Amino acid sequence: MVQDAGLGRESGCELIVEGSGQAVIPATLTLMPVGARKYMKPTELRAPPPRPRRGFTRVDTVLAALLAALAGIVLWRLHTDFDYRWNWSAVLPFVFKIDPVSGRLQPNLIASGVMTTLRLAVYGIALSSLIGVAMGLARTSNRLLPRLIGGTYVMLIRNIPPVVFVFIFVYFIASQITPALGISERVQSAGPTTKWLLSILFGDPKQIENFTVGLICLSVFTGAYVTEIVRAGLQSVAKSQIEAGDSLGLTRTDTLRFVVLPQALRNVLPPMAGQFIQLIKDSSLVSLVSIQELSFMAQDVQVATQRVFEVLLFAAAIYFVICFSLSQLFARLERRAADAYR
Amino acid sequence: MNIARRQLAGLALLLAGLMIMPVAVNAQGSTIDAIKKRGKIQVGFGSFVPWAMRDKQGNWIGFEIDVTSKLAKDMGVEVDLMPTAWDAVIPSLLAGKFDAIFGMTVTDARKEQVDFTEAYSQSGQGVAASKQIASGLKWPEGYNDAKVTFACRRGIAACKVIEERWPKATLRQFDDDAIAFQEVINGNAHAVMSSEPKPTFFTLQNQDKLFRPTTDYVTTGMEGFAIKKGNPETIAYFNDWIANNKDWLKERHNYWFKTRDWAEKVAAN
Repeated sequence: MVQDAGLGRESGCELIVEGSGQAVIPATLTLMPVGARKYMKPTELRAPPPRPRRGFTRVDTVLAALLAALAGIVLWRLHTDFDYRWNWSAVLPFVFKIDPVSGRLQPNLIASGVMTTLRLAVYGIALSSLIGVAMGLARTSNRLLPRLIGGTYVMLIRNIPPVVFVFIFVYFIASQITPALGISERVQSAGPTTKWLLSILFGDPKQIENFTVGLICLSVFTGAYVTEIVRAGLQSVAKSQIEAGDSLGLTRTDTLRFVVLPQALRNVLPPMAGQFIQLIKDSSLVSLVSIQELSFMAQDVQVATQRVFEVLLFAAAIYFVICFSLSQLFARLERRAADAYR
Repeated sequence: MNIARRQLAGLALLLAGLMIMPVAVNAQGSTIDAIKKRGKIQVGFGSFVPWAMRDKQGNWIGFEIDVTSKLAKDMGVEVDLMPTAWDAVIPSLLAGKFDAIFGMTVTDARKEQVDFTEAYSQSGQGVAASKQIASGLKWPEGYNDAKVTFACRRGIAACKVIEERWPKATLRQFDDDAIAFQEVINGNAHAVMSSEPKPTFFTLQNQDKLFRPTTDYVTTGMEGFAIKKGNPETIAYFNDWIANNKDWLKERHNYWFKTRDWAEKVAAN
């Protein structure tokens, strides 16, 4: 989309249709006067030759030396002024443990916390995308009420601090609704197979109600930012694309499904990746309301072992691995999206 | 016309939803009846050595855990431990996430929000100070100075005591005791206050960095169970149990607070 965006918008008659049959490689539909369909590749823009990449210049060498010196000073100060006896061996048993009865290796606090964080991440991304797309559409709707709802939602959530939102959501909203739903009772009375399935999907069955509340809280919170990204994406699609859809006789929903959304979502992949990485890090916020994810467990291990910095650094490393993997995944998606137009 | 009607219907649904909410909250009787009916007592607590902490296997151990297990056994119900972020423990109780908070120090401010049972444990706040920057200060009046920095774990009773007794000193609050002590070990704060036996143990482990300005308790606190307000039967029930188990409670308290026999179960330091 990026490459032919200019052309598509100016000419106003090239329609990019996605869906039916070829989902990955979209075909460009050119409207011919006779009404005949002809598939052709989008015109390639001739880019100026790229500027050659240069290696180290003299200025770079000086800058690198300064940076190294700064790092050296910090490390030296840490060594002299920061009195701390490192003891990593205290932390490792809390990642995995050996079950005294069966002698098998089992996940301990930190590993189970990581699982909860991963569950929050995966479900959170799915749920906040749903909310974001729905609210993004509402925000660009022609009707007043959806626009009002979408606007109020974004306004409320973006303008209060996340910590406050978590507390308000959990204690004033969720705790009024969830007991009425009776999730805990239903889980308790479920059969062994259902329980096993639930424990795979949501972790400890006793924590499901709590987990669900935390998940919804995180998704509603992130959803507001996703909404704005989706809105930006929708508005980045040229009006001519919608008009072309109309003139082809596509219904409104079809225009949205096959023409607007695919282009919009592709345009917003980079900010979306950033937002989802943020979601994973924000998942540590719900530890405030006792969702037993990585940060919560790390805090417990900290208290038990009194090894503050080892546990914190270890948790940070795990967050880094998770977030970095996600950004790599999105980088691949972006490349694929770009390839589709080559 | 059609659209307007649909929008009105949506609004009506929203309003109806809002009106159902308060009904769901009020459907509750006495806590003790609820516990027996459920066959389970749900106890909220925070991770705090030696009240409640994780052993190497990830299981909860500590004074509070012992008390909870005994009480549940005597009541003939199961225990449902609900580890809770300490900052959120009272809101969680009020929101009905569990029946009671165990091992909460009785304070006037807390009494406004929850009801307490009789105290079943007495703890004291002890102090540890930095050899590097606080050895010249005279305890306690020398610490009431704008140059002096105290550290404490946010939300515990010690912070309040520091504010009241050393109003001129700076108070820095941390999420965790270990970090508060680390600040003093590093010489960034003059003194740290926390419930015993922590100040004693930390000073023993860091004898080159920490010392005790006094080995007396700075203040003592009384701990009881906290439950939602307006529940006299439940309070009476718990008070009876505490009165009947005085000796056992004392013996357990000694084990967790006066000895270090349990240290092996937690990670080696």
